[in-house]
Amino acid sequence: MHARSLTAAAFAAATALALVGCAGGEPAPAADVTAEPEYSGTLSILTKFAGEPLGPYFEDIAAAYETEHPDVNVELIQETDQSVKDKTKTLTASGALPDIYFTWTGDWAENFITGGLAADLSEVIAPGTEWGDRFGQASLDAFAIDGKYYGVPLYNNGKFMGYNTAAFAEAGIEVPTTFEELIDSCGPLRDVGYEPIAFGNKDGWPALHYLQQLFAYNVPTDVLHADFDPATAEWTDAGYLTSLEQFKTLVDDCTNSGTGTNGVLYTTAQEALAGGRAAMYYQEILEFDTVTAEGNALTPDEFGIFQLPAPEGAPGDPGAIEGSPEGYLINAKSPRAALAVDFMKYVTNDENAKTLSSPPYGQPSTVVGAVTEETSSRAVFEGITKVNEASQIVIWLDTVTVPEVADAWLAGGEAIISGSSTPEQVMESVQGANSSAQ
Amino acid sequence: MTTKGSAAAGPFLSTDTTAVVLGRKARKGRPRGRPAGASRLRHLRGFAWVLPAIVVIAVFVYLPLVQNFGFSTMEWDIYSGTQTFVGLDNYVKLAGDPVFWTSLGNNVLYAVLSIVFQVAGALVLAALIESLRSTRWRKSLRAIYFVPSAISLTVAGLLFYFIYEPNLGLLNHVLDAIGLGALAQPWLGQESTAMVSIIAMSQWQGFGYSTLLFAVAIQRIPSELYEAASLDGIGPIRRFFHVTMPLVREMTGLMMIVTISGAFQVFNEVMVMTSGGPNNSTQVLGTWLYRNGFVRNDFGYAAAIATVLFVITLAIAVAQLWYTRRRRVEW
Repeated sequence: MHARSLTAAAFAAATALALVGCAGGEPAPAADVTAEPEYSGTLSILTKFAGEPLGPYFEDIAAAYETEHPDVNVELIQETDQSVKDKTKTLTASGALPDIYFTWTGDWAENFITGGLAADLSEVIAPGTEWGDRFGQASLDAFAIDGKYYGVPLYNNGKFMGYNTAAFAEAGIEVPTTFEELIDSCGPLRDVGYEPIAFGNKDGWPALHYLQQLFAYNVPTDVLHADFDPATAEWTDAGYLTSLEQFKTLVDDCTNSGTGTNGVLYTTAQEALAGGRAAMYYQEILEFDTVTAEGNALTPDEFGIFQLPAPEGAPGDPGAIEGSPEGYLINAKSPRAALAVDFMKYVTNDENAKTLSSPPYGQPSTVVGAVTEETSSRAVFEGITKVNEASQIVIWLDTVTVPEVADAWLAGGEAIISGSSTPEQVMESVQGANSSAQ
Repeated sequence: MTTKGSAAAGPFLSTDTTAVVLGRKARKGRPRGRPAGASRLRHLRGFAWVLPAIVVIAVFVYLPLVQNFGFSTMEWDIYSGTQTFVGLDNYVKLAGDPVFWTSLGNNVLYAVLSIVFQVAGALVLAALIESLRSTRWRKSLRAIYFVPSAISLTVAGLLFYFIYEPNLGLLNHVLDAIGLGALAQPWLGQESTAMVSIIAMSQWQGFGYSTLLFAVAIQRIPSELYEAASLDGIGPIRRFFHVTMPLVREMTGLMMIVTISGAFQVFNEVMVMTSGGPNNSTQVLGTWLYRNGFVRNDFGYAAAIATVLFVITLAIAVAQLWYTRRRRVEW
């Protein structure tokens, strides 16, 4: 080959590569969620159900849906609770969000909604619609902004102290009714050979679950809610300092890991309760069936739950429970939005909702009537009943606030555990992050 | 033997050996006098062969670098896709960010300890191994030290995470077993020990690889030099300083570049073992960049950190390349 033609070939190849690298897609048309679904093509969905025991849930549904609609291919992208955050943001930044994607409530969902990345589902899921009436209204409202409904709530969640009833009986203690009693119960439990409360904070957010529940107790509700929004937040209420001090007491007096709790995995703590080594472990409803799964030392009969008890005389809301529903958004730019809606209707039909609420999944469905004493384990049913009866549901601290403030709380929680910062220093850091976020 | 730009090779090296100078002399001997047209055609053909590679590198390396600098002058909302020009605000913010300085300090600490263990330590170990008479032992030790390098950083990080675990971890149990229970720590759970614990894992993982590379470099040194030194009554320690070290200078320089650049690009082990915690004490530039971009949604600021990271590693690489080229030893 002559040099000139070689040069031309190389230049053509390079140009093609450059064009591929620089190619940008045409803007997609807005999603029409009310259209008749066309049962063909690939439907992508990003879930938070990777691994055992949750992984098979969407796999089985996808397989069944594909059987009913042979021309549809469901592409599952299954991530864990931790990795789904990064995956979602990476896909968002690169403009590659799937047709359906997982979401928490609060600031997390609002970012997608206000950014125009979540389809308005009001016409198909708002209360009063055929599909919407299948859900509890509070679950739908958790994904609503300005009267528009954006989310498909899949399951409810709440945080409770799970405990080993045999350990409590052995130590001769009752379920504590105040925070002070909880701390006092740790000594007798330790005396009979149990770690009173198993706690792992390697990822930072487990500490925030304790803190948010204590904030709900120690901070007046209107102040707390105002502080979630950087525009109105002050983070100056004395209840925050009280909560941080109470949290530090719990870590120091009731855990074996103490100041080293930041070096312990959340799942290691979970296994300590499941393995019968710890008496208590603060956990989500979603974990109840995991800690009592077959093969664990802790059996369903020995497993009990109670709400983290409120401190005596706390000025906040003692009936508040921390938690929130979790669900899915439909990509506003998806060309298969109607198919996506159809798939989510399938996911939330009676049969699948009951399956989701039953062991081994144990995820209490938001579909009315799906969680019963027959379909769910006793603990899951009790937990979801308490959530439904709660005076208010307080959303997780790391998703209800803006990321900068949540990040300051994450670092602050770790610093309180290790003892490297005082509660006052943590509050200064949070206030600084809030100022920056404003 | 000749050293370029240095006369620090030691007196006994002035002995005439088998060393010859290649390079300029050799190049002078190449045929010249081809017609100008043929030469141009040859150049064009050569250029055609490398052009695809140049374009690929330009598109996938240099273009993103330029784009990254552009992003660092923006406030970028990944949800709405809006980008607002903020000039150098992100760099001003960076200067006043205490976690950025903590991260930079951790990278520097990482680099310093890596030089001590993975360059100096590995060179000494390689010299010791290569000085052994038994070929079997030499091969066995090289393999033993190299094995940790065959383990991925993520796996090694997870492995050490469980070794460092405060309640169930091997390290604290071993300390207890040998009567040093008072030294048991929540290694990754407290600010004072977390970073050093991560660096220790990294040294364990990378030490063998450096040792192997130095061993290869030492094997290339002509044995006549060591024999000549021995005949002159030079002991093993002086042989190390006056024969081995000067003649592996190029490899040392390369290892310095790789080690320091690696220390500033560290990411996996920190993410696996602590995610930058507790209380941001183990943040390095890579993880702080990631956290700002993918957790705090501040991609403009993350791009500014990336730019600083690039400038630092580029400056180090250029300085070291210049230094090692100036002091290159050939034989």
